[in-house]
Amino acid sequence: MTATVAVGEGSEWAVETRGLTKRFGSNVAVSGVDLRIPRGCAFGYLGPNGAGKTTLIRVLLGLTQADAGSMWLLGQPVPQHRDLALARVGAIVDEPRFHAHLTGRQNLQVLAAAREPAARGRIEAALERVGILHRADDRVSKYSMGMRQRLGVAACLIGDPQLLILDEPMNGLDPAGMHEMRDMIRALVGEGRTVVLSSHLLDEVERTCDAVAIVDRGNVIRQGPISELLAGAAVTLQVDCSEPRRAGALLAETNLPVTVAIEENGLAVTLAGGEPRDVIAEIARILISGNISVWRLQLVQTSLESWFLQITSRLGED
Amino acid sequence: MTLRPEAGMTAPADPPTPARDHRGSPLPTRAMIATRFMELRRRRGLMITLILVTIGIPTVFLGARLLLHALAPKTYGPAGGYDIYTGLSAGILYTFGFIVAATLGCTAGSVDLTEGMFRHLVVTGRSRIAIYLARIPAGLAIIVPLVAIGFGIVCAVCVYAAPTTLNLNGLHVPAGLSRAQLETWAGDHAEDVLCHLPSENVPVNLPCGPGTTGPGTVIGKNPPANLPTPSPRQLRTAAVRVADQNWTFYQRQFRYPSNTLMIKTGLWLELETTVGFLVGLGVASLLGQRTVAVVGMIVLEVIITPIVLRVRIPHLENLQRSVLGVATAHLEPGELPLAFGGGGRDFRLTESTTTAVCVILAWAIGWTIIGAWRMSTRDA
Repeated sequence: MTATVAVGEGSEWAVETRGLTKRFGSNVAVSGVDLRIPRGCAFGYLGPNGAGKTTLIRVLLGLTQADAGSMWLLGQPVPQHRDLALARVGAIVDEPRFHAHLTGRQNLQVLAAAREPAARGRIEAALERVGILHRADDRVSKYSMGMRQRLGVAACLIGDPQLLILDEPMNGLDPAGMHEMRDMIRALVGEGRTVVLSSHLLDEVERTCDAVAIVDRGNVIRQGPISELLAGAAVTLQVDCSEPRRAGALLAETNLPVTVAIEENGLAVTLAGGEPRDVIAEIARILISGNISVWRLQLVQTSLESWFLQITSRLGED
Repeated sequence: MTLRPEAGMTAPADPPTPARDHRGSPLPTRAMIATRFMELRRRRGLMITLILVTIGIPTVFLGARLLLHALAPKTYGPAGGYDIYTGLSAGILYTFGFIVAATLGCTAGSVDLTEGMFRHLVVTGRSRIAIYLARIPAGLAIIVPLVAIGFGIVCAVCVYAAPTTLNLNGLHVPAGLSRAQLETWAGDHAEDVLCHLPSENVPVNLPCGPGTTGPGTVIGKNPPANLPTPSPRQLRTAAVRVADQNWTFYQRQFRYPSNTLMIKTGLWLELETTVGFLVGLGVASLLGQRTVAVVGMIVLEVIITPIVLRVRIPHLENLQRSVLGVATAHLEPGELPLAFGGGGRDFRLTESTTTAVCVILAWAIGWTIIGAWRMSTRDA
């Protein structure tokens, strides 16, 4: 008798954790993390080195045990239904390493054998998709770092995953390779798959992902769609004007919610909380009424990188 | 802040998951075993070492003897025979078979961890125990045939290149004689028999030639003084008596091993090989690395076992009996000699066959459980 079961039927989250905690001795690597990753999106998981990104991924995948909390992958509780959950999950954790004496194809055969029988039939397509089909019969010991990354992604794809968890997939890739990887991730998302991207390459994450979570010291400190998160972030108003010092003093005397930094050709005015048009108009009015020549007002949108640096505690330490 | 799925982000219907692929089962699939076999077989250095030790050493040794015997048959004896068989099987194949089996086990037990493949395998959702157990048939499928081939070569050469006569104390005697035939043959070769074979109370004053006991040597214990030189008839009678006395000794001599002995020896060697592989696999899985495990296994086989086998340690005899080599030595076919500390009839520490079997099972099953437990609980 055969039967099929829809993975995570009825669950809107690809990944859901509640109070997930992992300790290494006295060091809390993951501290009560509540994370919800919606299905069918590219999700960035960001954090400084040592923030607990890889540890959380390892816990999710059952590579190490959680000390507390509960988690679901594709709607399946883990570790209770780990086998069902991971049947549709592909993952690269840390740098992808393989049996160096085997070819890329043979390594995938080893991994396909641990999956369902159909996985072996997906090897060719996976190799072609990541662009290493022409080197599939070379030993992995002859592969570059970038090729091993691609092989790692191919290893994920042979399981026809609904959820891909990629830990620093851009490592070792040249610019063209990063571009291809970005396109591939978007294509995978376009097919309805969920891609979780752990990275510290914030620019790449911003270009690739729909939503992010920021983790620091084991805690998820922000999560949400990038557009929403950045909308709430501080923006900078670049003011080119005469007499920057006097202009700065004029603004400092007001009660406007701004921080002023004096520069050679003007001011850099940081506006807290998005893009308040009224504040910008008020700044212009104060400067002009103070007989200061204003040549240019330019709003500089906060990048994910600068926002990340604003909110992570490491910036304060530095 | 809670993230909600956005419009347009809705995932398509999930594809069916193969719920009956037994992914959570602790039993490995044939495909897992086959790919594990491939992974081990393609380790060129390891395979060359295994083949050299299990097949190469006996082949080179026997090949050289065959060649030398063919070139100078009077100087070099036949390549095969019973003595060569016992020496190779209880010596080379026994000791080195265990070591290479353990080395293969240590490799199979550690490379997934050291080469970073273990986490890839765990992420498939496959049971960790199944991942571990797949290594057992895969590894045995390599080492068991290799030992069988090496042993087969030894058997073939020892049978087909066996000497045509038995060597009794330097005397070449035709094989397969009945008691009467042996006595007749002894009567026909009286001087050789009297000069070479041990005897009890057969006083004959016989000048033996060079290479034996020397001219004028008195054969027999406590010969009477001034013993006269024997006549040919007296020599013949004495030789028949000596042959009769050596009948039991003659019966135990073989030109080549019997089929029964070869089967017993083969099974014993494969048992040793299998247990060596399982223990190596478990130890390496526990330690998570190969080098220390291999060194430990070699120390166990080459240093600890011979010492424990030969030295009686008061109050620790039961501990000595728990050593794997002592137990496998107990199961060694009785016709084989003590070799390399691997076993033999004359080991000093005695134990029952039941105890030996229990000890071997405990080592094999115990280390398998320990290895599987460690692979199930360790961080990948």
